[in-house]
Amino acid sequence: MFLLSRKTIMFRAHMSVTRIWQLIEKRMMSCISVHGKLPGLQRAVGEVRRKSSFRQSPLLTATPVRALIDEQISIKGRFLSQNYPVTVCAQMHSEEGDLWEAFAHYTTNASGSINLTSDHSVGGSYVGCEPMGLFWALEPALGSREGLSLRKRNVETPYMVNISLLEGHTSPSEGQRTELAAVTTERWYMVPGVRRIEIRQNNIVGTLFLPPGPGPFPAMLDLWGEGGGLFEYRSALFASRGFASLSVAYMGHKDLPGPPHIMSVGDSYFKSAFQLLQDHCQVDADRIGVIGLSFGVVLTFRIATRSGFKPSCLICINGAVGSPLLDEDGKIKMSESDQKYWELDDRGYVSFKNVSLPDNLPPESKQKVENITCPLMCIVGEDDLCAASTENADLIEEALRSAGKSHQFTRLSYPGAGHLIEPPYTPCARASLWRAKPEKLFALWGGHPAPHAAAQEDAWKRILEFMETHLRR
Amino acid sequence: MDRKQCCVKLSVQPSRGLMDEKFIVLVQNALPGSQLTIRALHQCEDGHSWEAFGHYTADTTGTIDVSEDPSIRGTYSGVEQMGLLWSLRPIPGSKPGLRMRKKNIQTPMEVTISVYQGHQTEGFADLVPLSGVVVERWYMAPGVRRIPVTEGGLTATLFLPSGPGPFPGLLDLWGGGGQLVEYRAALLASHGFASMAIDYLTSKFTMETGKMVDNQYFETAYRVLQQHPQVCGSKIAMIGLSFGTSMTLKMAIYSEVIKLSAAVCISGSHVQPVEGSVEEIMGFFQKNAGKTRFNEKNEAIWRDLLLPIPTDPSLKADVGRLQCPLLLVVGEDDQNWPAQESALDIKEMMARAGNSHLLTVLSYPNAGHLIEPPYTPHARSSTFKTVEIQEKVMCLWGGQTVEHSRAQEDAWKKILVFLRENLYGGRNPTSFSHL
Repeated sequence: MFLLSRKTIMFRAHMSVTRIWQLIEKRMMSCISVHGKLPGLQRAVGEVRRKSSFRQSPLLTATPVRALIDEQISIKGRFLSQNYPVTVCAQMHSEEGDLWEAFAHYTTNASGSINLTSDHSVGGSYVGCEPMGLFWALEPALGSREGLSLRKRNVETPYMVNISLLEGHTSPSEGQRTELAAVTTERWYMVPGVRRIEIRQNNIVGTLFLPPGPGPFPAMLDLWGEGGGLFEYRSALFASRGFASLSVAYMGHKDLPGPPHIMSVGDSYFKSAFQLLQDHCQVDADRIGVIGLSFGVVLTFRIATRSGFKPSCLICINGAVGSPLLDEDGKIKMSESDQKYWELDDRGYVSFKNVSLPDNLPPESKQKVENITCPLMCIVGEDDLCAASTENADLIEEALRSAGKSHQFTRLSYPGAGHLIEPPYTPCARASLWRAKPEKLFALWGGHPAPHAAAQEDAWKRILEFMETHLRR
Repeated sequence: MDRKQCCVKLSVQPSRGLMDEKFIVLVQNALPGSQLTIRALHQCEDGHSWEAFGHYTADTTGTIDVSEDPSIRGTYSGVEQMGLLWSLRPIPGSKPGLRMRKKNIQTPMEVTISVYQGHQTEGFADLVPLSGVVVERWYMAPGVRRIPVTEGGLTATLFLPSGPGPFPGLLDLWGGGGQLVEYRAALLASHGFASMAIDYLTSKFTMETGKMVDNQYFETAYRVLQQHPQVCGSKIAMIGLSFGTSMTLKMAIYSEVIKLSAAVCISGSHVQPVEGSVEEIMGFFQKNAGKTRFNEKNEAIWRDLLLPIPTDPSLKADVGRLQCPLLLVVGEDDQNWPAQESALDIKEMMARAGNSHLLTVLSYPNAGHLIEPPYTPHARSSTFKTVEIQEKVMCLWGGQTVEHSRAQEDAWKKILVFLRENLYGGRNPTSFSHL
């Protein structure tokens, strides 16, 4: 085990419920510079190409080559020289046209092969055995605009990710690189046969995804955060896993009433959305759950305790029991919360975390979570810099315990994970552009790449299991 | 309807696979012990519907895993992970003599897989399934490039793998039916080989002039492939099925221009007039057309046309002169060509000449003539038209479905290993007895 300036051991998230003391902070450059000092490793830059690497053509394979976002892809290289340093690199373009990259350093074995499912990266965007590291460790290429995040808008097309095998231990930004082999993979949010239906009825702005087949299907109502807009990708994945799913926009969408930065819809809006699912002929009306992220958590609790509907299960990711923004009808009463709880770092990036500390929340805004009648899964990123997730989860747990409902409560808590716990094998943005006007503001989400990736992988699996248990049995 | 059965979940992973990739079909949340039917339905390009099904019993956890659990009966039985694909057959009432072959390889084959209550054998169209999924099966991996080739008068298509290259090359030949058949070449490119599918019987030249191509046609194809900037010119192999075998052996042994690193000959023979052109070789077979037999269903059996294997050396490609590894794939129930007898004779000739270390023979009991990439339906017979005979004939290919499908799966795997080791690996040519 080599020495770095910080403690280096990383554990997988399935140990998340146990306290983990040591985290690794992955910084590309420090990994490479540390590596350069270690003996026995060849640096490929400027090295004379050895003739032996020409005698045979290397082969790089990825299986499956068309995968769902949450499916593992097995990457192997063969017919390389023995005990040879190589770099595996992933590159893709986002919908906005930005280049995202990840890379890792491996050494071939005595047969001239590498297998990312079992081999260890010794440097690059991640270290250790990380079969999907090339996907979750993707970062904007050097020279990109600040604060980018990767969030797919068009879920009907895949991300095309090019995986290449380079000679030696190098990085995408270094000029001299010999590409030995490459393979193109497609990563999809939708399986074939899933139907995407735009919903603009009953004043609802949303998208419904139906699994293939006759139904009826269990369903989810899918709520996102205060950033607004309409994000479809989680719903598309739920439908790909056999659950009808409705994503709704509640602010920041051109088809919604009122200015974009205000939530002009209230409780009745979400009731309509839930009702739409219940009324749908291909949805099983008695098997509907709600999932919320961030501000979506408060909305989830409002639906569960005030709407008159009885969801079958609730999933709350990194949210709070209340919000200073909401009025009695569940509409946003001011454009942004009182900035007194904002914390700025030395770059001027803002952490909203303290806004949602239970002590800072107006008492009347706190939802009566003890009134929920169904199972609840609370997912917490312990490095969440946007919401006081841990503190609110504590509050929720206590409220349910006092009401004799502990058996309904499940908490998943992930050290080193940030605010945006999303479907797995996608990059974690530690910060991103929150708003562009009146001036640019970047929000801090928190989270370190490797533990956040582990959290996403584990949480997604648990979310699907939770849904199977409470919506299908 | 029972509430629990509403929630039966069917999943297939991967939902988008290559044609030769295995998938896992899983049923979950069924009532333990319940009887269920899993069915596959596919509508092919010419509009015919094909179906396959298996009868299962859910286990104590309410699960059926097709890769581990047996089908009690259906179009396949036993533990058959890919049975839903290889046992596909035309739905009742279809025209006889159908064969499934994809023409447009840039789109996937779509298969709907559904699960039904009970053990059903017919009338699926009138039943509502408990659950259904759609699966895509692709001949082309993402990034593979399809390039039509007309240079030098060729009618061909080149498939290039993704990546910088250079890639080893492959010339891909089919049989007496002619046409430009692309699917195997597309699939081979998805495995890293720059593959050129060649139409050598119904090329543009032949259709316009009425003349068959000469030997130079194949040499032109070889040159075009060899000179391509992304092809490794010193690593080119040839794969031929049926009449394509005759051409492959001819070029491998006698061409001054073509220097192959390996050859794969499927369901073919070395029997041919040694000095003959394509036309003359065709003519040689035609001469023996009188030896055609018909079975009780009036299906044509052509295997006798080349029997008995001649002793006259001018009538057999001189395999003793081969200098590259040769993989022969033989279906022992081949009713169209005497592949098995030819393989035995080839073995003897090479033993006598001292180059049998180059030979590997894969011989499959109860496999027929059409040994193709795996997990597609087996046609024991189908309507067929060669370029010589103008009317369609019901041709007996042979093979029993289960053994034939196993043979396709095994042969394909071994063909890929053989090609990789000879074209990617840096080994000296040798036989692959470990295959």
